Amino acid sequence: MQNLEDLKEQVRKALPELDVVIGWTGGYDPLHATPHFIRRDEDIDKLQVNALCVHNLATYLPSMRGKKVGIIVKGCDSRSVVELLQEKLIDREDVTIFGFGCTGVVDQTKIRRIVGDVGNIDSCEVSGSEVKVSASGTEHKLAMSDVLSEKCATCRYPNAVLSDHFAGAEITSTATFEDGYKDVVEFEEKPEEEKFGFWLKEMDRCIRCYACRNACPMCVCRDHCVAQSRDPHWLSQEAHVRDKWMFQVIHAYHLAGRCTECGECQRACPVDIPILLFKKKMNKEIKEVFDYEAGINPDATPPLMTFKAEEDKITERKW
Amino acid sequence: MTSNPYLPAMATIQEVIEETPTIKTFRVTLNNPQIKKDFNFGPGQVGQLSAFGIGEATFVINSPPTRMDYLQFSVMKTGEVTSMLHTLSAGDQIGVRAPLGNAFPYEDMKGKDIVFVGGGIGMAPLRTLLLFMLDNRKDYGKITLLYGARSPVDMAFSYELPEWLERDDLDTHLTIDAEFEGWEHNVGLIPNVLLDINPSPENCVAVTCGPPIMIKFTVQALAKLGFKDEQIYTTLEKRMKCGIGICGRCNIGTSYVCQDGPVYTYAQLKELPNEM
Amino acid sequence: MAQTKFIKKESLSAWLEELGQAHTVLAPRFEGDSIIFRPYDSEKGVFIDREATAPPKKAIFPQSETLLEYSQIKDMENLTKIAIDVKETIPTTTYVVFGGRPCDARGFTMFDRVYLDGDQVDVYYKARRENTCFITLTCEKGETTCFCNAVGSGPSDPDGSDLLITPVTDGYYIECVSTKGEGLLASSLLTDGSSMEGEATKYKQAADASMNEAPDFTGSPEKLLAVFDNGPFWEEMSDKCISCGACTYLCPTCYCFNITDEANGLKGTRIRSWDNCMSSMFTSEASGHNPRPAKANRLKNRVGHKFSYYPDIHGGVISCCGCGRCIKSCPVGVDIREMVKSAIAFVDPTAKEVPAEEPKAAPTEKPAPKETSVKAENTSAKAKKNKKSKKPASKKKGAK
Repeated sequence: MQNLEDLKEQVRKALPELDVVIGWTGGYDPLHATPHFIRRDEDIDKLQVNALCVHNLATYLPSMRGKKVGIIVKGCDSRSVVELLQEKLIDREDVTIFGFGCTGVVDQTKIRRIVGDVGNIDSCEVSGSEVKVSASGTEHKLAMSDVLSEKCATCRYPNAVLSDHFAGAEITSTATFEDGYKDVVEFEEKPEEEKFGFWLKEMDRCIRCYACRNACPMCVCRDHCVAQSRDPHWLSQEAHVRDKWMFQVIHAYHLAGRCTECGECQRACPVDIPILLFKKKMNKEIKEVFDYEAGINPDATPPLMTFKAEEDKITERKW
Repeated sequence: MTSNPYLPAMATIQEVIEETPTIKTFRVTLNNPQIKKDFNFGPGQVGQLSAFGIGEATFVINSPPTRMDYLQFSVMKTGEVTSMLHTLSAGDQIGVRAPLGNAFPYEDMKGKDIVFVGGGIGMAPLRTLLLFMLDNRKDYGKITLLYGARSPVDMAFSYELPEWLERDDLDTHLTIDAEFEGWEHNVGLIPNVLLDINPSPENCVAVTCGPPIMIKFTVQALAKLGFKDEQIYTTLEKRMKCGIGICGRCNIGTSYVCQDGPVYTYAQLKELPNEM
Repeated sequence: MAQTKFIKKESLSAWLEELGQAHTVLAPRFEGDSIIFRPYDSEKGVFIDREATAPPKKAIFPQSETLLEYSQIKDMENLTKIAIDVKETIPTTTYVVFGGRPCDARGFTMFDRVYLDGDQVDVYYKARRENTCFITLTCEKGETTCFCNAVGSGPSDPDGSDLLITPVTDGYYIECVSTKGEGLLASSLLTDGSSMEGEATKYKQAADASMNEAPDFTGSPEKLLAVFDNGPFWEEMSDKCISCGACTYLCPTCYCFNITDEANGLKGTRIRSWDNCMSSMFTSEASGHNPRPAKANRLKNRVGHKFSYYPDIHGGVISCCGCGRCIKSCPVGVDIREMVKSAIAFVDPTAKEVPAEEPKAAPTEKPAPKETSVKAENTSAKAKKNKKSKKPASKKKGAK
């Protein structure tokens, strides 16, 4: 990030009034960043903002309600903050938003596909167009376009949609809504058996760790989730693909019109199941039916949280 | 217990007693004559009752090992399993995994005075030891019982209380939280009544069980009376599944309540990490 | 001298097929972008060049397994009378786990002390344990996240394995570690391996040398207890944790489980399934009380169990095999090494004033474990539980 020093300065000024500011810092190796909770001045120096900062920090906000929290957000992350505000799950006056223009983050899975063994990373340099990785003594120059997260390749909101502080210049995007759903359209066109077969195969290796749920900023009933509850007892604890798949369906339905497609569910999955596709499918439907996108306007009411006697595009009764 | 620690022994409910609006007592007998013959336990040990299709929950065997006609469990309706158990009646089948956990050190208590302080459903684990001691009366010194509940209708084992009150080898005190028409006993919180009774800590052990808040203040009252931490026994309750120290949810530091407990002295609890 | 063998690289698949005739062979292969253990399929091959994404834990500790089957039988004469038939379902399938790493196999030694050596033997685990052989692959090198060398192990540790195979020119050098392993050596594809010993030893030495410097966990049992009540410490440690179960379910040593009934009409099963201490529901009681209500409490238990409680009970052995999966698979990069090191390094600012000579009021009267260094504990000999000595009261005594 070009204006990291500006951002640090903004954080430094605001920190005395805040309990904590959440950002990112270096992780367990040079290829990975990790969320960073800034409480003291010296923590600010460790702040890192670049294409490795994949985590959507808005996930932490609902559980920190009551505290004065600063949060550094990419454009997509800011949509989660907005959606949380829309649903009154956080309080605007308690959250200080530090935005910046984001040029995209990497998909670690894509990097793994190209580099292979990422167990020993010697160094990693990230620029706008390239990720230079040295793994076990071998240098790999990866074009950013090859390792960019899918959501970033078709991003329409690279700048924080809501912020109290904004560092650096805004980024312009030319992507359209349709650009972001080509994968959904492609999947929709497959025969039913193929679609179902795909999910049976993919979901089979789910270990039911619910990282997808807990990484999701909008999944706020995690401690009381139907995935494990006995009352209601909707899912069996058997290691059956039926139950693993059913959870994803429930998850997607709960997120219809709420999901901002930050992709944390899929990124968090330790066994790389492409579960974002479920949510994108729901969002595509929501857009078609309600002409609505989650997390854009703090004052808007999500369509499934309200009721209209007549919906323009719901004509099932043929009236 | 069978060689498979997860396999419940089947039992038949002989009698169901409605103790209070939320507590039912089940008297059960094991079906298999051999298992029944070999079954023994120490007062304070617990069992898992199975409601098949729903699950298991843990309850103390509150009948004493000196009375083996049936095993008695008192069940407060709080969750899924207990709600199911409350629908059962005499003749119904039930699974029992018992005995689990440790017992009160009734051998070490011989020759001593005993003070029982029970609150609400917390009377259940005291009952097994109290009856065991009454059945071995000469082994123990003065026995005092203080039993309290919110109101008379919340008092379990009410059918036994007249006998307990009448016995001259048992000093029984009952108390409720607030005045109630026709109530002839103490009114007041258990720790306060305990201070009024003023038992001597000399060669005495106190055994207490009840809601966490009641235990907390009872222990304070006992300390005020001069009881040392080693003289105070209580039993803990935790969410349990396996009952044999494996599944990992009932531990407080190194101590697994299902196996190393549920009976602890207050001194032992103080040594454990603060995670009750 | 234990038996040693050699197998040519190109004979490996034939050997696995042979083994597959009598056993279910589980071997790692790519599925999507993850490497997971699946029943061996010669067409899909194996991928053993890297540590698998998920360990072969499910071979002995399935994600879910049936403990009992029950059926309720209505009496046709009196429909309110229901008999219940309960059957135990002890597993009988035999497994060979091929291509796991030393840490993967050693993880089960942590299970053994709890599942086999306690007062009650877990008969399901016992059956699977006895019916499973591990053909473990010596690691070529450590990863950044690897720290087996800090928990009394190493990249060629045979502890918990039945055969240890080490890459040598054109094939693998095979060492027999257990009597169970001997039973797998009958194949004519295997030749005498004694001439390969030197090469294998060099490979192992190179692997040892490749390891990062081991973090020093000395004193973790006492130090973790010392910070138990330090709320701000655990709050900071758990700041970024999202309280999911990825770390526990991918951990070769995490052995906690749930037991639930799954009814299907009048019939049903009682199953055991993976559960984890990071889940709020794990300890949530019917009354609504939860002794570990916040993620800080839960993470403290996870770290405490592995680096304090378990070693306290089991002769100093840390319940962690250092595979590093909890670090690299954590969605937010929580690093257990850092937490333990922070606890060890933590100095209570308020305790500084105590003069050195004065005996410090011990926070607990529990005797500290004699063996404070855990690094010395690399042994397959089962450390006997000292739990008994901790039993606060007489246990399971008869009535008289």
